[in-house]
Amino acid sequence: MLDSLLSLLPQILFEGLLLGFVYAMIALGYTMVYGVLELINFAHSEIFMIGAVAGVEIFRSLSNIIHNGYLLLLVAIVVGGLVSGLVAIAMERFAYRPLRRRGTTNRLVPLITAVGVSFVLQDLVRLIEALWHNEFFLRMASVSDLEGSVTVLGIFIQYKSIVVIVVSLAMLAGLNLLVNKTRLGTAIRTVAQDMDTARLMGINPDRVVSSTFFIGGSLGGVAGVLFALQYTTISPYSGFLPGIKAFTAAVLGGIGNIPGAMVGGLVLGELETLAGTYLPTLTNGTIGTEYKDIIAFLVLILLLLFRPQGLLGQIVKEKV
Amino acid sequence: MTGSLKKMKTETALIAVCAADLVAFAALKVSPGFFAGIIGILALVMTGYLPVKLQAKLGSLAVLTLVFTLGFASKASGDIFFIGLIGILVVLIRTDRAPVWTKVLIGAAILLASIPFAGFKDTFLFELAIQIGIFAAMAMGLNVVVGMAGLLDMGYTAFFAIGAYTWGIFGSPQAHSFMAGHFPLNGNLMFLFMGLAVLATALTGIIIGLPALRLRGDYLAIVTLGLGEVIRVLANNMDHPVNITNGPQGITPVSRPDIGWFRSALSAIGVPLDARTDYQLFFYFLVLLVIGIVIVVNINLGKSKFGRAWVAIREDEIAARSMGIPMIKTKLYAFATGAAFSGAMGVIFAAQRTFVSPETFTMLQSTTILGMVVLGGMGSIEGAILGAASLTILNIDLLKGFSEYLNELKQGGTVIFGYHLSSLPSQLDPAKYERLVFGLVIIFMMIFRPTGLLPERRRKAEEAEDDDDIPEITETGKGGQS
Amino acid sequence: MSGYAVEVKNLTKRFGGLIAVNEVSMSVKPGEIFSVIGPNGAGKTTFFNLLTGINKPDSGNLLLDGRDVVGLAPEQVAARGVGRTFQNIRLFGAMTVLENVLVGRYVHIRTPYPSALARTPGCRREEKKAAERSLELLDYMGIASRAGELARNLSYGEQRRLEIARALALDPRLLLLDEPAAGMNPQETEELKKLIRALRTDMDLTVVLIEHDMSMVMSISDRIVVLQFGSVIAEGLPAEIRANTKVIEAYLGSGAAAGGGAASSDPATTESRAAAGNGATGEHHA
Repeated sequence: MLDSLLSLLPQILFEGLLLGFVYAMIALGYTMVYGVLELINFAHSEIFMIGAVAGVEIFRSLSNIIHNGYLLLLVAIVVGGLVSGLVAIAMERFAYRPLRRRGTTNRLVPLITAVGVSFVLQDLVRLIEALWHNEFFLRMASVSDLEGSVTVLGIFIQYKSIVVIVVSLAMLAGLNLLVNKTRLGTAIRTVAQDMDTARLMGINPDRVVSSTFFIGGSLGGVAGVLFALQYTTISPYSGFLPGIKAFTAAVLGGIGNIPGAMVGGLVLGELETLAGTYLPTLTNGTIGTEYKDIIAFLVLILLLLFRPQGLLGQIVKEKV
Repeated sequence: MTGSLKKMKTETALIAVCAADLVAFAALKVSPGFFAGIIGILALVMTGYLPVKLQAKLGSLAVLTLVFTLGFASKASGDIFFIGLIGILVVLIRTDRAPVWTKVLIGAAILLASIPFAGFKDTFLFELAIQIGIFAAMAMGLNVVVGMAGLLDMGYTAFFAIGAYTWGIFGSPQAHSFMAGHFPLNGNLMFLFMGLAVLATALTGIIIGLPALRLRGDYLAIVTLGLGEVIRVLANNMDHPVNITNGPQGITPVSRPDIGWFRSALSAIGVPLDARTDYQLFFYFLVLLVIGIVIVVNINLGKSKFGRAWVAIREDEIAARSMGIPMIKTKLYAFATGAAFSGAMGVIFAAQRTFVSPETFTMLQSTTILGMVVLGGMGSIEGAILGAASLTILNIDLLKGFSEYLNELKQGGTVIFGYHLSSLPSQLDPAKYERLVFGLVIIFMMIFRPTGLLPERRRKAEEAEDDDDIPEITETGKGGQS
Repeated sequence: MSGYAVEVKNLTKRFGGLIAVNEVSMSVKPGEIFSVIGPNGAGKTTFFNLLTGINKPDSGNLLLDGRDVVGLAPEQVAARGVGRTFQNIRLFGAMTVLENVLVGRYVHIRTPYPSALARTPGCRREEKKAAERSLELLDYMGIASRAGELARNLSYGEQRRLEIARALALDPRLLLLDEPAAGMNPQETEELKKLIRALRTDMDLTVVLIEHDMSMVMSISDRIVVLQFGSVIAEGLPAEIRANTKVIEAYLGSGAAAGGGAASSDPATTESRAAAGNGATGEHHA
């Protein structure tokens, strides 16, 4: 029994890593927007979904033209990231900015708006897909050179999984450079500290907020493309669960904290995969794989009880 | 404005309203149906907005009640008249200066006579009225949490589900599959189970709320969102190894209370009931009764130290705590109270439908109720009712109606601007796009009228002030204090 | 029992690298009017926030009526009879004037939750009692006629009064006033002084206040403590503080002390000018 459990372990850890990277990239979008606006952007899960749908569409329409799977994926990633980033900018411009302009003090207003935006985006995508293909449950086209696999140290690894990891790492590294080494990064960090002071220093907060939404949005979009590549089925409603889990990952790492979001994503991905595989085995099937979706929630509750500031964060309280 | 001008305006308004009422009546004679309904609603809007004297306003409302009620007698679909009646109720509630007895009289005429009359003509309208009632009660419950206390509960349906399953499992043979005993339980125990559901959901609310409420409001939103998902997963999967919820198939039939007494009471006053309408009427009255209780409780709370504490915490947490208000306890009261309302309605829902399944209890449902509160006006009781009525009618009547209409056009081979409607994709079904509609409603309300259609008395002033301040505060970002 | 209304020993609070309150010790006797003064940023408001449990001290002791209150939540401190007002008025703007004061009665209204749901006769009685007491307080503060008005519609001076009424609704033994005279003209300040003196005797209160208006502080206080950069630089009777060179230096910068007694009334003008300046720029940003 124990042997069979242990022999599975490397494979499970690898799968968890894949999922974790996807969560991490989505979580970054939540955490960056939160850092700048102190807003939980519920609609970020839809930004992710839009990236995934864009990726599927690219594969669908270009796989006959571009035969190299890696090139095709590159195109999909660029387009997915761009589309998601632009939708995120539009969302900020038309839904959130008017609220900031009005100087709303009620914290619920932007939060509720975000829920509304999330719903509108879901059905807009559904509407487009319905008009376009007359279906809205989409399957990723499979391209042969991405589907190959190797077995390393007993771990079955698909080529596309390697791509997922490489791209994620590159994006995360790029983000770190951007935030810590560029002027824009400095501006973002300044606005996150104090918007009024930033304005006094000649920073245009609206532009910084837009950029933040674009960066977070395109990370989410790329995560969507990779998610679609790895898990193949996508619908306008498939953003919800990864979204809420990625948010949990952001809280796990300490909301507003960029390295925290990465760590949180990886930890949550591993936890979920481990639980999804081992719970059914350990309980003789009493608790099925379906319950893995609850893991994120349990983690969130326990976290709020015992370490609300997250693994790497500080406690966020009302300002006095 | 000078006195005479004002007087002239009132007189013109009076003539306009009278004329509109007359036209509505005439329309009813000439072409009973949708057309007459629209005219009636126009007359109602004029009555609501034009500056007519109080007596004239009440008179017009009474006339229109009659118009809409007579409208049901015609063969045409009664939906539009139903909407008109709801509209009259709203105008009535907002007419502050009206003597209470007139309000009670017109209100009772609509709720106790017109709507049942409509229901007998068309059972769908009973269904619609009951749905509105259930949602209105839930919206008022959520209003305590979101509107009064300013806490965002996004998994409100979770409590509804707990209530529905509490009765669904024991009020049906389902309980046999995991325990011994005589099931289904007697339908009259439904009332007892409403009490149990109140306890169960309040307790769940406390358990879930406790960790989240210590922190900033945002966390509660996400925790409740998660709870909604957990309840759905549990309802779907707790059919093995022990079958408690019967999984995705759901549970049916759920018992209803015995209503022999109700039937005989009504036939005694000359209203014989048949098997098609008896339970509909019963649940309609039950829901009315529950709404009555919920309204009274809401008002009582608003006037108590707890209601004040909620508003205080919503307005300024630090100042409220410095006045001795225990923050977590106060928030928990609000959260648990809202949950309990939802749980009680779940029991009624299970019995009325005689069917419980996980599909009912989705994030969409939670957000719909939130949308009702937002549309009507956070914190406003009459707003919650209006919001519930509007979105329910929109969802189960108008969107579906539009879908059917579109289908007819498609099958009829209609061509618009050279485009054959029959070549529209079959997936394009307006009834399936309620998310889009609700989402847009929420966004537009938040951007253009965050206080809702019928703002809470307290927030009305807030809004007026907001309008004045717009040029000054455009440049303000977040929390600008030293 | 120490016999002090407030006793503070070596109280320290840091925010990041900044020491806002540094080893502060002081004691206030019951029935005293005690002022805390100091230049902007001296840590006065932080000191109040520590007293009321809004911030937790990093070290030191804090005794109210001889009982340790370190670690208590703001609501617990309030329930022990500490009422306060805020530097930038924090009323519940969406509530009426009367409701604001009723919020302050919270701990004295003994209505269990179930009887509030049903609005039982007991609940009504409690509410009535509370409303009577609140109206009494509004009357005492001279704003009873405004009871039904929304708090945000009051004039500035009325809002200041309402905030005091709300704090008094707690039936406090200790009243903390954070710059009660800010933004008031000399006549209003004069009335405020009378009011605070009357409060002390009528309601048996100990009053601790933060104030920038030196003429008011000097004439009303029994004793004064001066903070600078979070530390106590002087403590004593008004006359002693007025003559203290360290205090004059703190207010006017070093070098000014040489001017001696002539500068005695100056801190007031400098401060109020500084405050007015701040206010103006503040509005400008907004």
